[in-house]
Amino acid sequence: MKNNYRRFYVLPLSFALLWALSTTLTSQNGSPPISGIVTDASGSLGGVNILVKNTSRGTQSDMDGHYAITAKSSDTLVFSYLGYKMQEIPVGIKSILNVLMQPDATALDQVVINAGYYKVSDREKTGSISRINATEIESQPVSNPLAALQGRISGVDITQLSGVPGGGFTVRIRGQNSIFAGNEPLFIIDGVPYDSQSLGSKRASGLIIPGGTISPLNAINPDSIESIEVLKDADATAIYGSRGANGVVLITTKRGKKGKTKFSIGNSTGVATITRKIELLNTNQYIEMRREAFANDGISEYPETAYDINGTWDMNRYTDWQHEFIGGTATTKEVNASVSGGNEKTQFLLSGLYQNETTVYPGDFNYDRIVLNTNLQHTSTNQKFQISFSSGYTLENNLLPGTDLSAIALILAPNAPALFDENGELNWENSTWINPLASLEGKYTNDSKNLLGNTVLKYQLFKNLNIRLQAGYTSKNLESNNKIPHTIYDPAYGLDSSVSQSYLHTGTYQSFIAEPQINWTKQGEIHNWDLLLGATYQNQKTENLTILGYGFANNSFLGNLSAASNLIILNESTFEYKYQSFFARINYSFKKKLFLNFTGRRDGSSRFSTGNKYGNFGAVGLAWIFSEEVDWSWLSFGKLRGSYGITGNDQIKDYQYLQNYVITNQPYDGNIGLEPARLYNSNYKWEENIKKELAFELGFLNGNLEFSAAYYNNRSSNQLVDYALPGTTGFPSIQANLNAIVENSGLEFELFGNLIHKEKFKWTTSLNLSLPKNKLVAFPGLEKSTYANQFVIGEPLSIVKLYNLIGVNPDTGLYQFKDYNGDGTITATEDRGYIADLTPKILGGFLNSINYNNWSLDIFLQYVKKQGFNEFYGNEPPGTMFNQPVGVLDRWQFTGDRSQLQKFTSGFNDEAYLAYSNFAQSNGTLSDASFVRLKSLSISHTIPLVKENNTSCRISLMGQNLMTFTKFKGGDPEQIKGFLPPLRRIQLQIKFYL
Amino acid sequence: MMTDIRKHLKLSTTVGLLGLLIVPFGCEDYLEAEDPVGQLSTEAVYENENTATAAITSLYAILRDEVILTGNPTGIGGIMGLYSDELDYYGQPGESLENFYRHQTIASNPTISDTWNGAYNLIFMCNAAIEGLEGSQSLTNEVKEKLKGEALFIRGMIHFYLVNIFGDIPYIKTTDYLINSEAERMPSEIVYENIIEDLENSKNLLAPSYPTGKRIRANKWVGAALLAKVYLYNRQWEKAEHESNLLLNNSEFVLEEDIQNEFLKESTSAILQLKPKNNGDNTLEGSTFIFSSGPPPLMALNISLIEDMEDSDLRKQNWIKSLTEGSDTWFFPFKYKQNLNTGTSVEYSIVLRISEQYLIRAEARLMQGNNLGAENDLNIIRQRAGLENTNAQNSQELFDAIIMERRFEFFSEYGNRWFDLRRLGIAEEILSPIKIGWKSTDILFPIPESELLLNPKLEPQNPGY
Repeated sequence: MKNNYRRFYVLPLSFALLWALSTTLTSQNGSPPISGIVTDASGSLGGVNILVKNTSRGTQSDMDGHYAITAKSSDTLVFSYLGYKMQEIPVGIKSILNVLMQPDATALDQVVINAGYYKVSDREKTGSISRINATEIESQPVSNPLAALQGRISGVDITQLSGVPGGGFTVRIRGQNSIFAGNEPLFIIDGVPYDSQSLGSKRASGLIIPGGTISPLNAINPDSIESIEVLKDADATAIYGSRGANGVVLITTKRGKKGKTKFSIGNSTGVATITRKIELLNTNQYIEMRREAFANDGISEYPETAYDINGTWDMNRYTDWQHEFIGGTATTKEVNASVSGGNEKTQFLLSGLYQNETTVYPGDFNYDRIVLNTNLQHTSTNQKFQISFSSGYTLENNLLPGTDLSAIALILAPNAPALFDENGELNWENSTWINPLASLEGKYTNDSKNLLGNTVLKYQLFKNLNIRLQAGYTSKNLESNNKIPHTIYDPAYGLDSSVSQSYLHTGTYQSFIAEPQINWTKQGEIHNWDLLLGATYQNQKTENLTILGYGFANNSFLGNLSAASNLIILNESTFEYKYQSFFARINYSFKKKLFLNFTGRRDGSSRFSTGNKYGNFGAVGLAWIFSEEVDWSWLSFGKLRGSYGITGNDQIKDYQYLQNYVITNQPYDGNIGLEPARLYNSNYKWEENIKKELAFELGFLNGNLEFSAAYYNNRSSNQLVDYALPGTTGFPSIQANLNAIVENSGLEFELFGNLIHKEKFKWTTSLNLSLPKNKLVAFPGLEKSTYANQFVIGEPLSIVKLYNLIGVNPDTGLYQFKDYNGDGTITATEDRGYIADLTPKILGGFLNSINYNNWSLDIFLQYVKKQGFNEFYGNEPPGTMFNQPVGVLDRWQFTGDRSQLQKFTSGFNDEAYLAYSNFAQSNGTLSDASFVRLKSLSISHTIPLVKENNTSCRISLMGQNLMTFTKFKGGDPEQIKGFLPPLRRIQLQIKFYL
Repeated sequence: MMTDIRKHLKLSTTVGLLGLLIVPFGCEDYLEAEDPVGQLSTEAVYENENTATAAITSLYAILRDEVILTGNPTGIGGIMGLYSDELDYYGQPGESLENFYRHQTIASNPTISDTWNGAYNLIFMCNAAIEGLEGSQSLTNEVKEKLKGEALFIRGMIHFYLVNIFGDIPYIKTTDYLINSEAERMPSEIVYENIIEDLENSKNLLAPSYPTGKRIRANKWVGAALLAKVYLYNRQWEKAEHESNLLLNNSEFVLEEDIQNEFLKESTSAILQLKPKNNGDNTLEGSTFIFSSGPPPLMALNISLIEDMEDSDLRKQNWIKSLTEGSDTWFFPFKYKQNLNTGTSVEYSIVLRISEQYLIRAEARLMQGNNLGAENDLNIIRQRAGLENTNAQNSQELFDAIIMERRFEFFSEYGNRWFDLRRLGIAEEILSPIKIGWKSTDILFPIPESELLLNPKLEPQNPGY
């Protein structure tokens, strides 16, 4: 034990020795009359330029912040460093001059933005690019980078599909462009496109993850991210051509920095619970409802299967099933560590994360994750050659129940039987119910391995000409296993382990990308040119294999497919996708106040048939810094910018243009199963998206207040759709282009205020607001198309056509609907005249960061204004053997009653049943689902440990989804009813910086 | 000046070279992706006998596993059993199946649209096969004809069930989606004409022997057996009798004397069977109907069937099993006795069997005034079941006896009971007293709501929906 401790000290000690040595070595240079140390708030600062004013003499501080220079006492030294305010200090009689540099976060010039193939300063950008940085991400207790983005960037709508660890998100940047092709943005991690499609299989993931969507971005450790940039308009996205239509999300990971070697190690633990429950009937209310329902239907003798009220089940029993099934507390544990450093030529970073999270379900389920990141950069002595390498490796292990119990928790009768009998076995109550916990006998596990590697080689051929090669490799491997033992079925079937099933699914994905580029720049007093030429070659291959094994001698063999007496290959497929393109960018600036940016790209994709493979895309962007022209003291910065361009979308399935048969898992008498794969059409082409944007950016009070506003208008045409067809064609749809135009337009506002910026007390605030609008502009032949009943010209794509609920007839106690065609009956085709739009109308975010001494506080509020399906959506008629929200108590009981809801029915009254099934598709199931959410709150305190070497310890208390203010009664307003809502998380973190 | 030019040349050469570096694969060839694993081009499928055969046998596999004839609860054996007076529902409340039992089927019922879509998908496959076979260069005429005969047989059969479920329907004979997406409903009589045309053509193309020896794919006799049924439903008595005669005069099909053997895979009564998917599997009907403790997990036989059958009826003793718990007793169909894997399969699902031909002929003979012949045929079935000869005194009684015999013989098989109630116009009389939700318009299912929304030419909806 003692020895272990000793070893533990050896490493830091030896590093300390090294630093001491290097410090002494560097101070021996020259014989300086003036020397000193340059520091910033967090310690010594290397690389600071120190210049004797009005001379060409200068030096740089070394990695410990030391500098030495010769200067006369009448001279003035100028200290400058990117991201810090310039300081001029007269030498005077001092021979030691220590300087504290002040960060200059508001200086637009200094904020360098990653625009994908090139970098640009915030001041000079011509496109619409928003950014969040590491500090903002680190202050949130989330495990997926997408969760950290929610609400923080204008124009970006992110919804969490499920609170299950590993569950997916939908991301919409400036709305839904495509009716049916993918609307996912392009994700780029350190320059390499990251396939955001889930490798999961619905068959093998069971019902736990909605649609089998496992978010692949789980593989990214949010702590390893330096910044996330979101590219929105044509100017910013056109360089990504066919893949830029839905916006681009650039994730840049942290790199090593020159300077002293830094260690950090952190540990956090936390808890998570569901945010809110739906208020349901208790047993008394439920029994009252059931009795009234049968009385209404004129049935006095309860049917044999009405176990809840015919005396079979205990009518005094009450269980809060939401509490029972999803009311648990999940715990999270996390350990992370990193080491980084380097010198002028070589820098490195190594970081690691281990994370464990349990679930809110009953039972022993959990999610484990290990992420390792490395980064290495090197520059040759003559500064001409640069190489940078980074890699990320992620191991995930997810053990989840086979079914999400969130849905059953809402409908199970409150007097349903106990889950377990006296022996602790699952209670089937003589086959009178399907014990919901039986599904937990099934176990779903998924293991995934994810490798991301990326190398950039750069060589300066001439002073103005660089060549660059970026190469990336991504490999993903998902293995999931869904075990379904026979014990999940009612023992009444008399089954044994010969019917137990085990699904094994493996998905592998490999992608290789190479992007050679040439960059030429010419800097001048007046004219500046920046030229970029490049090409992309990408090849990706996805392989899927799903095997079903059954006929096990014993359920304990379920993990071992070789023990199955029958093995069936359900799916074996390989998809290849190839992509090739050529791109160019010409950037011209005039006197650093007028900027012109041309981008163009020619893309080819294997997803289209010969002759349709290529498409051309491009954009022009213009920015004018008009504050250079005028001299208004109140305006420190003013810019007008605009852009116009065309991007594309090829997010459709591979091989859709082939007329093929596919092998199926339906053998017959020794012959394989063969089925036509699809209806045949090879003529579809690229979907196009024309984007326009006009924006202004203003700075006041020396840049302490910034405001920007943007109007955008995107129109996508030549829509790629799975054109819905009637069943008589043999298939539900066909791949085709639709001559429809979809418009997304909107206003986006961002406000940033540096309210207080004293040395010990800082307060910044930022606000974003988006007002998106979606519209179907044109759809020739809509009336005659198969979409006649789904879309309306001039309305958003996301509309639903519903029956228009007038109310409850006081005489009959039944729902009444508006009879649009006046034919006296309510019919699906003609009377769904009520148009409801479910997309958000307003999205907003409000962030405050306050620093006082060593304390910091971040509060983030999210606001969404939208309509959503309420607590009545998807329910069976009240009065049937399902629990209901308490709202149903406001029902019709007696002739003349004026009530919100119709009378209860046991389901035997046809008229009531039909009226209810119309209600289920009416605007009665809609409510305002707007909400304000205290999305995240974090308080942290930094304690310096040893002043001399800048070691410190930071303790943070962080919360996510802490409070939600809403009138919505259907559970969590963010997502779909019936799946586990996003969780409320609280986490305590201690981090040491050494 | 010179150096400038040289410098310029050097620069442009470099840029040119770099350009070459960037554009080495600038051609469409690069974008040709490998053919997908697990897929075959349609042309290739029909140039090889094995794959062409697989495309045909897949039709039977889909009938077995997915649609109409499947022994799963959503096949017509289950849903039509619940819809008529055969089966009672005991499953979870609110499931789609319960709506059939309670006669609360509405146009948006998912099982109804699955049935419709699944059936037309299968019809598409038949049409794709027919077109593929006709275009094939390398298959021999003999192979082409036999396979085409099977595809026509299945196309006719599916339309036959659809017309009996939905009434007027489109008869689909092409894979062209532009035509099919605007298909209109045809009057039932025209649908029947098409069915008969397909089945007659199929019968001409098919060989007298089974393709593999086993009774698991269509041959000439199978075509005749289905034709007999179709003619019977279409009230073409003479033709019905003619077709059933072809079967009943064929020594290959012999009514199993021992009722216990009727549903075994070796049954000599079988005309067409569906072979289970995997070795050792038994029928899906077995797993759907059999249960070992009460109350029943999904469905059980309606008590009236048991009460109406004579106790000495061997079918009651052998094809029905009861289960008693406390004071409650439930009954379930026990024609198929296996619900688990048995290593080697013991039972196959029997779609068409010879006893049906006897009862078809009995009815057809009766309708042509041949009461004696009808009685004879009826008694063959009664004797096999261990019962006395019929004591029917007149045509009406004989007719009632034949229909009653059909109920006892074919219960829980492919909705035979419901289709009898429907075609004979007695559904209202029999079901309205015992089904709370019964409406006279329940005689047809609704056209799926989604289908009417996508193809308004299918309007109007069936009455009552």
